[in-house]
Amino acid sequence: MANITDVMLMAHVGFGMMCIVTGLWVFVDTLNVNEANIARIRIISLVAAASMWLALLVGGYWYVFYYAGDKAFILKGPWPAAHNFFMEMKEHVVFMLVLLATFLPLAAAGNLASNKGARNLVLTVAGLIVVIGLAMDGSGAIIGMGAKLAMVPK
Amino acid sequence: MDRIEKYTTSFGLALVITSLFSAMLVVVKELSERTVLAWMKQATVHHWVTHAIMDLLVFVLLGLLLTKVKISSERLSQLILVSITVSGLIIAGFYLIEG
Repeated sequence: MANITDVMLMAHVGFGMMCIVTGLWVFVDTLNVNEANIARIRIISLVAAASMWLALLVGGYWYVFYYAGDKAFILKGPWPAAHNFFMEMKEHVVFMLVLLATFLPLAAAGNLASNKGARNLVLTVAGLIVVIGLAMDGSGAIIGMGAKLAMVPK
Repeated sequence: MDRIEKYTTSFGLALVITSLFSAMLVVVKELSERTVLAWMKQATVHHWVTHAIMDLLVFVLLGLLLTKVKISSERLSQLILVSITVSGLIIAGFYLIEG
């Protein structure tokens, strides 16, 4: 049965994935923007921002209060880089992702159908959210694998 | 050149500056364990939380202060792309060397 930390980690990944998917949704919808889908782009931008903040808050709480044990295991295991590079990088690059996701609804507030510059701004921000989000997701997988390998009996 | 809403511009520029600020703060705190990092650990429950709060404060304050700045949306897109790329490379490069 899953304990509270498992649930938190699953929620963290779930909200993060939601941010990536909604970021991609905004990107594709903006490529095909017209008067009919502007409202949807703005709503999905807000969902992306909310998802990212929830991923940060849940993941941040787990990181601050529960990660120390896993960290000690990882550093003694065969993949110390899972913490020394991937977790250290992830925990700081995520701030950029939060800034981008927070800014996305503001960028999407312009008239995307008639303003090419505003459209390109949304495409840039949403594209960066997807790319960085996938990098964060991959890093999380490597961190999890580093912890698992460290717990395998030698 | 397309003009964009003033808060889109100001918070876009705030994003550009905060991203670079955050990356530089990573380097500074990691290289100053007894001073900056020690202070950040004491200021809240964890240095990472202090880092997040500092980033948020810089972002919000700059977003509210930079409303007079005028810039095209094309230039803002370029600045965001460069800033995020450079910030990511600073952080990843630092931990690749120091990690």
